[in-house]
Amino acid sequence: MIPHEAMEQILNTAKKLGVRSAAAGITRLRERMVRFSNNSITVTNSWRTEAPTVYLISNKRRAACMIEDENPDELKSTIEQLAKTMKVTPEGDVDFELPPGPFKYQLIPGIYDKKVADADAELIDAVESGIDAAKKEGAMRVSGVVITRDWERHVLTSAGADGSDRGTEVEMTIRAFADDEASGQGISLSTTWAEFNPEEAGATAGRIAKMALNPIPGEAGKYSVVFAPSIFANLLNRVGDSASAHSVDIGLSFLGDSLGKKVASENFTLRDGSQTAGAPGSIALDDEGYPTQNVTLISGGVLQNYLHNSYTAAKYKARLTGSARFDAGIAGMIPDARSLILDPGEGSVEDLFDKAHDGLYVTNNWYTRFQNYRTGDFSTICRDGVFRIRNGRVAEPVKGLRISDNMIRILQSSKAMSRDRSWVKWWEVQTPTLTPSVLVESVGITTPEK
Amino acid sequence: MSDGFESARLAVDYALKVGADYAEGRVQRNTGSTYTLKNGSAEPVTVGRRLGVGVRVLVGGALGFASTNSFDKDEIRTTVESAVRTAKASRRLVASPTLLSKEKSCEDEWEARMKVDVRDVGPEEKFELLFTIEKSLAEENVHVRLPSRILIFDEDLTEKFYVNSEGTQLHGFVPRLSLVYILTAVEAGVGSAQRIRHEAQSSGWEVVEEWNPKEIAADDAKMMGRMMRGGKAPPKGEMDFVLGSEVTGIICHESCGHPQEADRILGREAAQAGESYVKPNMIGHRIGSEHVTVIDDPTLPNSYGFYLYDDEGVRARPRTLIEEGAISDFLHNRETAAELKVASNGASRASSYDREPIIRMGNTYMMPGDYSLDELLEGIGNGVYMKSFMEWNIDDRRYNQRYVGLEAYMIENGEITTPVRNPILEITTPGLYGSVDAVGKELAFSGATCGKGDPMQGAPVWTGGPPIRLRQIRLG
Repeated sequence: MIPHEAMEQILNTAKKLGVRSAAAGITRLRERMVRFSNNSITVTNSWRTEAPTVYLISNKRRAACMIEDENPDELKSTIEQLAKTMKVTPEGDVDFELPPGPFKYQLIPGIYDKKVADADAELIDAVESGIDAAKKEGAMRVSGVVITRDWERHVLTSAGADGSDRGTEVEMTIRAFADDEASGQGISLSTTWAEFNPEEAGATAGRIAKMALNPIPGEAGKYSVVFAPSIFANLLNRVGDSASAHSVDIGLSFLGDSLGKKVASENFTLRDGSQTAGAPGSIALDDEGYPTQNVTLISGGVLQNYLHNSYTAAKYKARLTGSARFDAGIAGMIPDARSLILDPGEGSVEDLFDKAHDGLYVTNNWYTRFQNYRTGDFSTICRDGVFRIRNGRVAEPVKGLRISDNMIRILQSSKAMSRDRSWVKWWEVQTPTLTPSVLVESVGITTPEK
Repeated sequence: MSDGFESARLAVDYALKVGADYAEGRVQRNTGSTYTLKNGSAEPVTVGRRLGVGVRVLVGGALGFASTNSFDKDEIRTTVESAVRTAKASRRLVASPTLLSKEKSCEDEWEARMKVDVRDVGPEEKFELLFTIEKSLAEENVHVRLPSRILIFDEDLTEKFYVNSEGTQLHGFVPRLSLVYILTAVEAGVGSAQRIRHEAQSSGWEVVEEWNPKEIAADDAKMMGRMMRGGKAPPKGEMDFVLGSEVTGIICHESCGHPQEADRILGREAAQAGESYVKPNMIGHRIGSEHVTVIDDPTLPNSYGFYLYDDEGVRARPRTLIEEGAISDFLHNRETAAELKVASNGASRASSYDREPIIRMGNTYMMPGDYSLDELLEGIGNGVYMKSFMEWNIDDRRYNQRYVGLEAYMIENGEITTPVRNPILEITTPGLYGSVDAVGKELAFSGATCGKGDPMQGAPVWTGGPPIRLRQIRLG
């Protein structure tokens, strides 16, 4: 069925059932994936889905559903079931409406490329290029994944919002091993085929792996650390999560009660660039049909904004930020960052090594877990190449280190950024993030006791 | 869908017709609902209905997977063609052909039964469960302020129709219910603490009483208050440890179950979840003391990770991963079993129709021993009892791990005494298992959703064990 017709049917069904306000969405998604390990392809995957989502609001009660069942009766009966459930559900805490449309949407240039949408055998070529480039730099074994996404979104609400957008994305992660304990990662992420560079990703991974050969056990302590984009993007994803008003609302944000306060160093400016040309993650309208915008989260170290949807905006008497994302889990609709962008600094990454003088260079991390989401105490494992910095230069590779620290302290101790930035998205970094390398002082590093 | 076999069979037959050497089709329906209370207020009731066909093929030694949520026959055929075409195209970069171990074909129907069908229980009762817990968390009852209380009841019903080109045909059904709560406690002048707890089973609504809703969260809240008010800084130096069941469970999951997944060992997850310190030739290798035996068993009745056949049609069974301190088995699917020349032990699972089956745990636990808790504590002059944890962290080879205690106490002369705030156990896998000198007899399990795979797949599992004693450990 044509998306608009299907969404109109959803809204009509909801209206007949007495639901005051409803948002219908349909996403058509086509994805292809090639995974490889030990220099060999392990599996190819392809997916096609078309999934309606429904968000219902009525008299302080909400409900939501996602139906990946093409039977139209199933969708209708689920909406009926939800409307019935809402009548007996206890009241929520806020009475609000969806944002009143219609709206004009700025379609984002540079986020759709037919070459990405049609790429098929090219993915195999990309894998081959990436593996060859990594091996040329000294890798023995190369693993990774390349994924293309071709998406089309439609949103229609009972409040008069009506819009669509489409985009593509190609993402490659390569992890190269020079031996079992020496590895490096490279990433290429873009919305267009022209900007996709598997050779560069492979070469980066291979180079780091070669440098990381024969690591010695690292020592616990406090260090000046230069974080490469891969790892800093992981930490910025946690900042993005904490900047969601939903996280603040449920007590899982280390940025709670901090609007207007200094949460980072003065050279730290981070935005959610949902409306950025050519940026992975950019979309024209959110899942409540509200136009997206670039939202400054932190400016000069001061927390400026949380990300809001219509529920949190009503609850906290804040302005909408066009950040609503459908959630089939606990909240129905969650404000969420789509594309995190950290402002660059001025120097090169070598300048950061120089500033650090004596410290660590960490190229990647894995498994970030919190002791307390409210305070921001966490730990994460240093993965792939980790190097000592001595006398302002990268020195011997080290292993076995864990970062055990606090997120606010890390942000406030971010002393310098590089000029060059990279887009990062991979298994551990789900929100596309454009970030420089960052020098952070006095980072807590721990090692196992036995 | 009254007969998912028809679509699964269509996919398999067509795959063979267009060039696959082997094919399997899986129609999977996941039907779920989630009810949430946030600080006493209802959050949206959310419902998910996922239904589609996944087809996996082997073409000239190359593996391909494709899926669709359309049951139109032409769409299914297009999906199959996609799987076959992409597998074929990938062959030039497949170093050696993927093989599958020879396994018996079978036909069967299986399920985890519900005594009280959760579908017959109305939303009012489900919210009543959450309100019972919410009421128990009143400050006058738990003696600590809880500014954030998130209470979640979740139900997921999974139905699978599986067919492969070797004649296997299986229909399975598992209902799973979960209670999750996230509590934030604040104590003036001290700070805050958080507790996340997950109780889960494959069963019907009858499990709710077993969760003990009037006390389960309240007991945790009271504990958090006690820890914040009375907890002292962790001691320094080398001492003995007793770890509670919850901590034993997460340890077994993270540092035994995961590193002994054969696909990790063979490098298939290298770019995502990493590899393993375990190598293929380490069967028989000593990794811990003779007191340590760790089992993964998907067949435990009513367990959260329950299944009777895996998603390659192989019958599930208990797997002894560590036996008296020595690595004794890996978790296998048919691909890894063929590579390591063993039989599959039925560890292949897919979370939804649109995910290829990969090696997952079921329910991973340490085999109980003979000691009561008092007997474990006896003979410890100076030690720490870490009963539960909040933070856990492990490296991607599953060797270097860290646990930060939530409920913890000093042990002095064999007795539990003062609360200790957030002791840190940061240790290697052999260091940990090698330090175990006694294992308790009370076995307990926690629910968890294990994340693995690209794209991510959340697998319902239990983590479990008895309390255990470790000797001569230095706190982090």
